[in-house]
Amino acid sequence: MILAISVVIAVVFASGAFLVLQRDLLRVVVGIVLISNSAILFIIAAGLSRGSAPIYPIDEGAVSDPLVQAMALTALVIGSSVAALLLAVVYRLYVSHGSIDIEEIFRMEMREAEELESMNKTELDPEEEEVADERKLEKEEPR
Amino acid sequence: MTTLVILPAGIAWLLAAVIAPLDGRRPLWGWLAATGLGASLLAVVLLLVRVLREGPVEVVAGGWPEGVGITLRADVLGASFAAVSLAVVLVAFVHEVLLGVRSRTFPALVLFLAAGLSGLFLTGDIFNFYVFFEISMTASYILTGYREENSQVRAAFIFAVVNLVGSVMFLSGIAGLYHLTGSLDMEVVAGRIGQVELSSIIPIATVIFVAFSLKIGLFPFHFWLPAVYVGSHAPVAAILSGAVANIGSYGLLRFGADVLPDALSFGAPVVLVLGVVSIVYGAMQAVSRHDTSEVMAYSTIGQVGYILVALAVGGPVGYAAAVVYSIVNSLNKALVFLAAQLRGPLAGAAFAVGAFSIAGVPPAVGFVGKIALFKTSIEAGGLLETTALVVLIFAGSALSFVYAFQVYQRAFLAREYRNNKRPSPRATRVLAISLAAFVLAVGLWPEPLLVLGTESAALLLEGLR
Repeated sequence: MILAISVVIAVVFASGAFLVLQRDLLRVVVGIVLISNSAILFIIAAGLSRGSAPIYPIDEGAVSDPLVQAMALTALVIGSSVAALLLAVVYRLYVSHGSIDIEEIFRMEMREAEELESMNKTELDPEEEEVADERKLEKEEPR
Repeated sequence: MTTLVILPAGIAWLLAAVIAPLDGRRPLWGWLAATGLGASLLAVVLLLVRVLREGPVEVVAGGWPEGVGITLRADVLGASFAAVSLAVVLVAFVHEVLLGVRSRTFPALVLFLAAGLSGLFLTGDIFNFYVFFEISMTASYILTGYREENSQVRAAFIFAVVNLVGSVMFLSGIAGLYHLTGSLDMEVVAGRIGQVELSSIIPIATVIFVAFSLKIGLFPFHFWLPAVYVGSHAPVAAILSGAVANIGSYGLLRFGADVLPDALSFGAPVVLVLGVVSIVYGAMQAVSRHDTSEVMAYSTIGQVGYILVALAVGGPVGYAAAVVYSIVNSLNKALVFLAAQLRGPLAGAAFAVGAFSIAGVPPAVGFVGKIALFKTSIEAGGLLETTALVVLIFAGSALSFVYAFQVYQRAFLAREYRNNKRPSPRATRVLAISLAAFVLAVGLWPEPLLVLGTESAALLLEGLR
């Protein structure tokens, strides 16, 4: 039983870790969900004991540990709500960028930043051009 | 009197629930939230004074017998961290209200964050710690994307994913501790863990160490930190580095020094090396960067290294230095992040105080932190170790002096700044200057801060005996 459950936890965690390393953001979210579920399995495994249900009046003999179930439930609630939050963030990124590929989103932002910079340059007055040149020199220097 | 333990989280929590459906952009709700944060902070300060006089206060939630219910426990260590974190959150929040809140949910989120923070610093139960920790982290994920600029939303995603992996590791660590000791109460776990073989504690301690190192951005786990800080909104950055990062240093102190002291002394060389690498790496990177928030992000990585070095040396002097330095660091970071964006008379002065403090120049409070670190390195033992550490801390401070003033020059003396004549609202400048005055005042009268440090160290070492 111990071997079986540890293999299950290992497989779930490894699949999650693999998905988190993907570029597709949806896969990253699924990966996080899998990883958090592997931790929940681990919690259950930490208190895996044979016994009757701990409902009053308690029968004679061993009672199984109820605390891990409570912890697992709490962790499940937290995990699912955080997954919902992550999905909302992914949707927000999709709306603004039209893509859920992290590399593409990053490239798009770099392009936007460059465009913004070139726009700022053209907006300068001719009088200030001298200043801009000086500034350019200043910027290059500390590097 | 025991209600004081529940009040800090309780006030913030209730008020957050009330304000959540209201329109947080209206100043009325903003000020209501600020009042609530102030009340929480007041409760924590009262609690801190009481804890200093009479020792830890304990409450078992829900009226359960001790050992069954969840224990809320306030001691010097937790209460001092709660006080400084809530103070930073309050100042950053008031700053944002003065500038004008742009999102309906901002006040409620900050209140939830404050509730989570004060809850996790004032609990004596490991799993309860995790729950509060998740509450504050979830609020901070959303806060990272607060202004909804595209890069901020991307940063929020990265921040959330990386820190969720950290949370999951911490959760596994909790499960391991529960399996070994059969309890979730920190005191009971600390008492029983001594009978467990070290070889079974080490993996759990490693997992917990990695989880908290991810939170504070220690060297090999720092990769997410610059992406989150660069381009983040100033009050949010102040909250992240001044309050949320405290979770990591508190967690390392609580779980390392208090709950798992054997594992910490076994792993001390590793912690020391990571701390040293972090100091050097953070300072070098910070010197080579341009953008203010990027420099400060790398500076955070470096400053964390000092806390780790103090933690690794340990003993009464080392733990005291770790506590003092964590408090000093969150004050510095809050001041620097808030003042860097301000324009107008005296904004530069407030920033300069923060920069002086980071570099450890008297009379700013950073000096007190650096002195504590020098004492720690003298405690470290052998002549070689001591010299190496003293040289390292000195070099780190010199580098921080360089980057702090590079940032000062670029932010306040460059031509762009002088051309930009539009000053920030007077109230925000007054706030930043009062924070700077506070940093100077604590530097001039450091006894209360040092008492917090030594008392916390004594508390942490009590478990060892």
